[in-house]
Amino acid sequence: MTQDPLLSVQNVTTQFVTEEGIVRAVDDLSFDVHRGETLGLVGESGAGKSVAIRSIMRLISSPGEIVSGTITYKGHVILDRSQGPDGEVRDGEAMLSEAEMRSKIRGREIALIFQDPMESLNPVFTIGSQLREFIEINRDLSNAEAKAEAIELLREVGIPEAESRYHEYPHQFSGGMRQRVLIAMALACKPDLIIADEPTTALDVTVEGQILDLIEQLKTEYETSFIWVTHDMGVVAEICDRVNVMYLGELIEQAPVDELFHETKHPYTEALLRSIPKPHETTGEFDPIRGIMPDGMNAPSGCRFHPRCPDAREVCMSVHPDLREIDDGQNAACLKYDVFDADYDDSPPLVVDENGERVPAETVESVGGDD
Amino acid sequence: MLIGIATITFLLVNAMPGDPVRIMLGPGTDQATIDAVQSRYGLDQPLYERYFNYMAGVAQGDLGNSIHYNGVPVTEKILERLPVTLLLVASSFTLAISMAVPLGAIAARRQNKATDHVSRIIALIGVSTPSFWIGLMLIIVFAYQLNVFPSSGLIMPWAHPSDVPQAANRIEVLGSSLYHLVLPTITLGTLQTAAIMRIQRSSMLEVLNRDYITLAQAYGVSSRTVLRKHALRNAQLPVVTIIGIQLTTALGGAVLTETVFSINGMGTLIITAVESQDYPLIMGVTLFFGVIFVVGVLITDLLYAYLDPRITYGGGDH
Amino acid sequence: MATPPETAEMGDQPVSSSAGEADESIRDLTGWRYTLAQIKRDRTARLGWYIISVVSVVAIVTYVDSQLLNYYIADTFWYHPERDAEGTALLPPVGLENSYGAGTWSHPLGTDQRGRDLLVRIVYGTRIAIQVGVVATGLGVIVGTIIGAVSGYYGGWIDDILQRTVETVYAIPFLILVIAIMSAFGRHLWIAIVGVGIVTVPIFARLIRSEVLKVREEEYIEAAKAIGVKDRHILARHIIPNSFAPVLVQGTLQIGVNILIVAGLSFLGFGVQPPTPSWGQILADSRGYMLPNPWFSIFPGIAILVTVMGFNLLGDGLRDALDPRNNG
Repeated sequence: MTQDPLLSVQNVTTQFVTEEGIVRAVDDLSFDVHRGETLGLVGESGAGKSVAIRSIMRLISSPGEIVSGTITYKGHVILDRSQGPDGEVRDGEAMLSEAEMRSKIRGREIALIFQDPMESLNPVFTIGSQLREFIEINRDLSNAEAKAEAIELLREVGIPEAESRYHEYPHQFSGGMRQRVLIAMALACKPDLIIADEPTTALDVTVEGQILDLIEQLKTEYETSFIWVTHDMGVVAEICDRVNVMYLGELIEQAPVDELFHETKHPYTEALLRSIPKPHETTGEFDPIRGIMPDGMNAPSGCRFHPRCPDAREVCMSVHPDLREIDDGQNAACLKYDVFDADYDDSPPLVVDENGERVPAETVESVGGDD
Repeated sequence: MLIGIATITFLLVNAMPGDPVRIMLGPGTDQATIDAVQSRYGLDQPLYERYFNYMAGVAQGDLGNSIHYNGVPVTEKILERLPVTLLLVASSFTLAISMAVPLGAIAARRQNKATDHVSRIIALIGVSTPSFWIGLMLIIVFAYQLNVFPSSGLIMPWAHPSDVPQAANRIEVLGSSLYHLVLPTITLGTLQTAAIMRIQRSSMLEVLNRDYITLAQAYGVSSRTVLRKHALRNAQLPVVTIIGIQLTTALGGAVLTETVFSINGMGTLIITAVESQDYPLIMGVTLFFGVIFVVGVLITDLLYAYLDPRITYGGGDH
Repeated sequence: MATPPETAEMGDQPVSSSAGEADESIRDLTGWRYTLAQIKRDRTARLGWYIISVVSVVAIVTYVDSQLLNYYIADTFWYHPERDAEGTALLPPVGLENSYGAGTWSHPLGTDQRGRDLLVRIVYGTRIAIQVGVVATGLGVIVGTIIGAVSGYYGGWIDDILQRTVETVYAIPFLILVIAIMSAFGRHLWIAIVGVGIVTVPIFARLIRSEVLKVREEEYIEAAKAIGVKDRHILARHIIPNSFAPVLVQGTLQIGVNILIVAGLSFLGFGVQPPTPSWGQILADSRGYMLPNPWFSIFPGIAILVTVMGFNLLGDGLRDALDPRNNG
């Protein structure tokens, strides 16, 4: 892992302007993806995972906007944007234009696979014509060549009778088969990085297993890197090399997959791991994460996880932890570690109020006194 | 369906008070004459017998004879007026679709920008304005104040030059026809334009948020191609359905528009028929309006099936 | 940089769902209160609400005055909207002048061909528009809901017969059908209301039927059936309340459409008969005089436009509030 990263994301912030105010869906996000590795991007629904990957492709549009950050990919500057004191957004000169993004990056270098294979295929065009269009755009092949290539790809991702199914429409395919088509699309342009946004969530377990096997097989064959977005820790354990955990737009833990599971640093990650139902456990032991995730509009002060955190102390309400290295190769954003030097140990713990949120002890008492 | 329409109109019309024969012949006619005329039109038979006779006639394309127009076959009268109404409805739909589809799509593309706001306000006013009032305003402004378009009448583009004032040849007939069509088309087409525009915008917005659109962009398809190829066809599906439904509004609107512009079409025909209580004519015209609607819906169903591969049969209920 | 079209809307992103959901104070509310709060925040829907409120108050006052007090209020404090006036006919509005004289403040919008004050006639015409619009829509909603619910719930031959009937009624253009109904049963206000109501029935019958078909297969309905709850009870307690939101939206918009139909009917002479003022009929009167006196036609049209727009604005607002997917 000493070589230059394939993709480097530095301090990317993406916000949405709504009538109620500004929501930072992705806040100061930084991570690298190395060649041949599969990086997991984990978090609950609404953590900002999907906005993060769309930011990488620069596919954010009004009312959303990437306001700052740098993204480089194999020497291409996908994003170089900073926000001046006046709030004006400025782009660096080396940043690729929209046309260059289209002709150099999207599809050719970085491909995307979405969660819902039905939603991701255009219902009014045949599978073949959609696949062929993407191949034609990105590989400068003639119509006939692109068609031959498309059929070959369909065969490769395990679609039987590829030639006749080429002329069928998405609704004539099963969910698993459609996901295979999407993988074929992703592979069509031989990208070095595939971003998969919860690609197996909509599939049943058997089909999910088949798709994961296919991905493993293709990974060894093409040496493609993956960013695998999911909320399923089981899938993470199976295919990821390193994992990023997101909470409310921020990264809160970064670790190689083994360390993440066995030497978990952040209380949120611990809670995520505990929430996986295990076959040998009874339902009594199953422990969902307490409370619901607040939305980005009303992000809690200090550490954003403090209202739901079992380890929260009063200091967590005021000090916002950034991501720091806790162990070798393992970063976390939690004040309980000494590197933050936040006086965590002397701070009184928070208690759970009637809404299941953690608040300072005295506020709960005063509420109780009113009754 | 058409049997149903025929039945409904038959029952409605026979519930009408008054006696058309007496109205036609005027007061003071002796009973013998009235009886003679009644039996000529079959009005002396019992209701169920008249119903079966009528339905049998309808099945053979015979809608009976008009009382008001002195026994002219209803079918003949309708076929004389039908092209006028069809021309008016067709031209207003042409206007509506050619305006509404691009405008709605552009509004969706520029959601919450100035273009969008302006077009939404126009569409809102369009669906809130009575068409005949638009007609009156157009007459005031363009026919009276500016004197650029005629305020009444309609000339069929295939009319013979000798029947058209100030027209020497077929080209001039065509020109005159277009010239007369302008104001009625705007009158009848405004509501359709606004209604289709609203659906086009919301449908386009929905489609633009779909994953397959993002995916196409993520594979480097240019935004123009995404809009024109990937989004537009999907967005047309609800629009096609609405166009079918709008047809019934447009046919009703045609009655008002023809009245405002004194055009001799199906609309003014039914008004005349109702005023003179001409049973066969009312039934015939209503039946024909139903036929036009059914044919229109059939066409939109076929179009829908063509646009959406998920529909494999050529029609059905949506 | 060319901005690609909307891509930020993903189901699992709170930032992208309807704007109101992001506000916690609103999110805590449920059902009705949520909808109301949403409407209050939506500026255009609020405008619609104000228009409807004003128009409704006017309609109620004029209804009471015309039906119960025999125009006592109008006659005492203003002009009689029906009786021919002795003043000048076709007087223009304030600030204009024509061959009959100059406009005065005593007749701000001028007078009609019989010298009646135009403003008072337009104000008293509100009653007809609202009465027919609201009552006819209500009639259509009630009958349509019953037909649609029965049809969708029972299916089979009941569904077939009801659907065929509804489709047949739907196939005849609204205006033509109402005209046919009115010429059969007479040109009275109540016939107009029933007629417009009948043409409204298919719209709601179809809407409710499709909602019922959606809800019918839900598990809780299956469960209710399994424990032996009566069909009628399931329909009334479970299915119809669940279909309420789309009916409310469509109903509000339909009032606007029905006001337009009534105006068209009156314009053709099939509405309420003279001298009772109605907007469509004032417009019909104006046809013969509008060419030198365009104001005669302009004002009643604006009254219709504003009223119908009020219902459209509120209907759109309700749709946005009740269906977060459709963010307009």
